[in-house]
Amino acid sequence: MNKTIRKLAYPYYGWLYFLAIVPIAIMFVLIFFDIEGISFGEASFTFRNFGLFLEPSTIEAFLNSFLFATMATLVSAVLGYMVAYPVFRSRFRNKFIILTLFILPMWSNMLLRTEALGNIMERHNIYTDLLGLESGFNLRGSNLAVLIGLVITYLPFMILPIYTALEKIDPSLEEAALDLGVSEMRKFWKVVFPLSFKGVITGCIMVFLPCMSGFAIPEILGNGNIMLIGNIIEQSFRNMSYNLGSLLAITILFFIFGSLLIVNKVDKDGGTLI
Amino acid sequence: MTKYPKASVEEYGYKNQRFLRKAYQIFNKVLVVLVIFLMYLPVITIALQSFNSSSELTAFGSFTFKWYGEIFQHPMLSSAIQNTVIVSLSSTLLATVLGTFIAMGIYYLSPKAKQRILLLNNIPILNADIVTGISLMLVFSLLLPIFPYMFGLPTLILGHLFFTLPYVILSVLPKLGEVDSNLMDAAADLGLKPIKSLWKVMVPAVKAGIFSGMLLAFTMSVDDFVVSYYTTGNGYDNLSIWIYGSIGRKSLTPAVYAFSSLLTLGTAIVLLTVNLLSKRKVRNK
Repeated sequence: MNKTIRKLAYPYYGWLYFLAIVPIAIMFVLIFFDIEGISFGEASFTFRNFGLFLEPSTIEAFLNSFLFATMATLVSAVLGYMVAYPVFRSRFRNKFIILTLFILPMWSNMLLRTEALGNIMERHNIYTDLLGLESGFNLRGSNLAVLIGLVITYLPFMILPIYTALEKIDPSLEEAALDLGVSEMRKFWKVVFPLSFKGVITGCIMVFLPCMSGFAIPEILGNGNIMLIGNIIEQSFRNMSYNLGSLLAITILFFIFGSLLIVNKVDKDGGTLI
Repeated sequence: MTKYPKASVEEYGYKNQRFLRKAYQIFNKVLVVLVIFLMYLPVITIALQSFNSSSELTAFGSFTFKWYGEIFQHPMLSSAIQNTVIVSLSSTLLATVLGTFIAMGIYYLSPKAKQRILLLNNIPILNADIVTGISLMLVFSLLLPIFPYMFGLPTLILGHLFFTLPYVILSVLPKLGEVDSNLMDAAADLGLKPIKSLWKVMVPAVKAGIFSGMLLAFTMSVDDFVVSYYTTGNGYDNLSIWIYGSIGRKSLTPAVYAFSSLLTLGTAIVLLTVNLLSKRKVRNK
């Protein structure tokens, strides 16, 4: 009987191969050709596209992406843990409400939230007007603005995996630790934190990757001054230079496959991914 | 009799941390509230903006509901909303139904095959949106000679299905592990065909997982911008794409703030009601 049910999963293999693996192969081929769009009519084999890596703008974008993503990940990991842990410890045990609390902001459109955040980062904004303040300070367009935007937008993706991982810890382990005479502090560092670490890893990956590759947040909050790798990919595809865009996309894919392997290692059944 | 000095608990290594602990607890509470406030700051601003009579973003004129009336007056906005609803509802529905059955298929795979398909399943979740979007666009453009009018609604639904399915599967799968395996054997003993017993036995047993997967899928689908941006075509704009264009043109109408606030409020009410109802049900049992 199980064999019949098993068949339900087979079409999904095809779907995933066709929509996830085939395009990567296409992009890989596009890297080596010198064409516009995907018309292979007058394609000629070339390594010229790799020259893109030597351009100062690309190098800067890579550095920027890496820096912003790392900073945003670190900040949200610390903040995320410091929020997830007290919420988990509180007597408030209704997981549904907690989930709703952290997911609800996502119900306003991401771009709209970013734009609203950008508006209140300007010198004159709706809050200074309401409170009658003379002027605030202008953050929009600065690095800090982009960092704040990234952290606020992606924090739920850090909190939820950590919370899920904390919830899965067997409470008797904590009791055992206390019975054996450790202090609350040592119990946390020796028992709770290591056991919830896979949630932290998953959260870090879920924050790091979109921060590195996104293009809307840096564009809206950075006023177009701050270029991340996502912005360059977006521009290349808009200018029909698919091969350059593919090259950068493939580069990002290396990071993603690295993360995929990490997730597969620390979390075999994907239990903390959602 | 010699008087020995009385030993205090401190001498045994006891440290009075009551004050420290209290301070830490207060700090923690303030931090949690502050972070949640920050997460909601954009949402609050959007709500505030929606009541602002002036369409200037820097000044609050007076309190008004007029933008709420204009949501469906604005032709571009209302068609964008309509498109978003069509795309998100149909992709969520498809993802929920297909994802549930695929998850059951995966559950009965051999451990090795299971791990392999779950690795593949993680790709749409972890992949950068921009890479997913571009990938789908490339595949769909390859299909263009066969289906010339494909770009637009069909590609959007397929694209959204692609990144929502894994969420449903990952929500349902752990619940399947909790189901008593004897139930399926009992159904088979009673003469049910495998597919039918899935529908009659397994689906009701993992209802909670299906529901949370559906919720996640819908949230992801409504909030998505990048994948939609790359997979749409023929001027078929959903809300995100329209907002992105409007921000670029600096012509965002406050009616969109009104719509967004309504959506958030509506969702909050629906979710809280569901929660209350399910709680009552448990209590009645």
